[in-house]
Amino acid sequence: MPDIIRLTDITRRHGEQTILHAVSLAIPCGQTCAIVGPSGSGKSTLLNLIGLLDQPCTGQLLLDGQDMTHASAAQRAIMRNRALGFVFQSYNLLPRLSALDNVALPLSYRGVGLHAARRVAQGQLAAVGLQARARHYPAQLSGGQRQRVAIARALVTEPRLLLADEPTGNLDRSTADDILQLLLALNHERRLTLVMVTHDPQMARHMQRCIQVSDGRVSDGHAA
Amino acid sequence: MQPERYGPGLRMRLGESLASLHQLGRRAWLALLGIAMGCAAVVALLDVGHSAAQHARQVFQGMGSELMVANLMPVADGGARAPVATGFAAAPGAVRGLAPLAMTVADARRGAASQSLMVAGSTPALAEVLGLQVQHGRLLAARDAGSTHVLLGAGVASQLQAGVGDRVQLGRYLFEVVGVLAPRGYNPMVPLAVDDAVLMPLAGLRRLSASSQISVVLALAADDTRMAEAAAVLQLFLQVQMPAMQVEVLLAQQLLDGMARQSRLFTGLLAGLGGIALLVGGVGVMNVMLMNVSERRREIGVRMALGARPADIAWLFLLEALLLAAAGALLGALLGVLAAWGFTAASGWQLHLDPLSIPLGVGSALASGVFFGLQPVLAAARLQPVVALRDD
Repeated sequence: MPDIIRLTDITRRHGEQTILHAVSLAIPCGQTCAIVGPSGSGKSTLLNLIGLLDQPCTGQLLLDGQDMTHASAAQRAIMRNRALGFVFQSYNLLPRLSALDNVALPLSYRGVGLHAARRVAQGQLAAVGLQARARHYPAQLSGGQRQRVAIARALVTEPRLLLADEPTGNLDRSTADDILQLLLALNHERRLTLVMVTHDPQMARHMQRCIQVSDGRVSDGHAA
Repeated sequence: MQPERYGPGLRMRLGESLASLHQLGRRAWLALLGIAMGCAAVVALLDVGHSAAQHARQVFQGMGSELMVANLMPVADGGARAPVATGFAAAPGAVRGLAPLAMTVADARRGAASQSLMVAGSTPALAEVLGLQVQHGRLLAARDAGSTHVLLGAGVASQLQAGVGDRVQLGRYLFEVVGVLAPRGYNPMVPLAVDDAVLMPLAGLRRLSASSQISVVLALAADDTRMAEAAAVLQLFLQVQMPAMQVEVLLAQQLLDGMARQSRLFTGLLAGLGGIALLVGGVGVMNVMLMNVSERRREIGVRMALGARPADIAWLFLLEALLLAAAGALLGALLGVLAAWGFTAASGWQLHLDPLSIPLGVGSALASGVFFGLQPVLAAARLQPVVALRDD
């Protein structure tokens, strides 16, 4: 199976401080993978590098077979839109857009017209079980519902890779389980590669693979 | 991997910018007002300046471009009374029509009406030089030289309620009105308001004032394309005739040139004022945009994560700045025209819109919006997504 992510000797420094030391890592298509580790170990930095939100200092980064190491800001933006979906701990919905328009937003950067984008977004909201809340604004939704909207937004571009940074960090246990089940179902149904940063060992246990980050170095392990 | 077309269409961008401007609410209004004031200042000042220049030009149009005015001043130590030259019949070829003018003030009385009037003595050539026409009666002729015949200006005639054939007392003498002049309007070149004056033969003026002498000679140039030459000829001719006088020849063109210079300076000054107002408006836009960008840093990060390129972010905010400036400019143009109209109406002039005023005002308002919006816009576009998304 081809690798959707391939990192070779990736180093990331902030001034004097080295956050990632020559990290090499390959994640095949369709895998579910947790990134765990203590706070400040560099796991978010790793996810940001994979998500093209940050740039490595040295090393090589291949996404979906394309070398993105020295890609321009615009090229990285287009790649994020085409191949990646993001889910954040704090949802990051735009407060003055309705749930529907939040979900439709990524399509606008592809030049899709408003009506077509809303049609597709409506379908994605249905897929996460929120078709009835399309006209609501983020402030009118519960945490779990907001995260579902965020997942629908991440899926609307039909990405091959879903990157989630503590997606259940702000949610209670049962809501968190629902979200986890949703993500796993998406992985199963759409062959979506899932990479999730998490603090929660229970979450990590449901992933096929668990990457441990400590002091800027990674070690591989499979969840129990 | 750059696709042929990526990024939202213009309509979508405009819609997004409008929505976020709406969100800005009162703050957007303040910046808009600043720009509007700047634009209004530029438009109003240019239009007022233009209207003033037009008004002045209309006033001067009545003067005739061939008119020359020679002012005579006695040389300080030439105490001896200069022999007043009347041999103007032999005027040089470059000069057509030559009218000496002596003036004094006299009390005029007719029946119960009495008032102080300007009385001017001249030769029949004055009518030709100034283009005088009678409403009633006739002009003065050479045969009137020794008589007590007078012409009344239109204003004087109505004030004294005198007509042709009436007698008017000037000083201690009675004069007979032989004609009433048609209204002339004021000519700033000529030191005599014809409408408010009494005209009589030069010799007759002696009856009112023994000391009055010729102070001005009015003349026409034979060829209005060679005014400077005619002025030099006139100057030399008068100097020879009256060596005890200092002669200074004034041309309408000189006055017009001087006024044009003054009006250019004035316009520059006003435009500078408008520029300062725009500067203030621009700083307002910059302020709003800086706050806007810093408050929406996280949104910028989210949009970037979802696929917005730096150019898309730049467009988002640049369109906001542009929309602000454009709304301000339109409002300002309207206010500016209104203000110019109010000012000209209060000054009793006609409003003449400077064809450049609105393009210049709107253009400079837009330019100032873009110029001052650019720095915050570029700062937004240069944000790293990871920095924009960071919690703090």
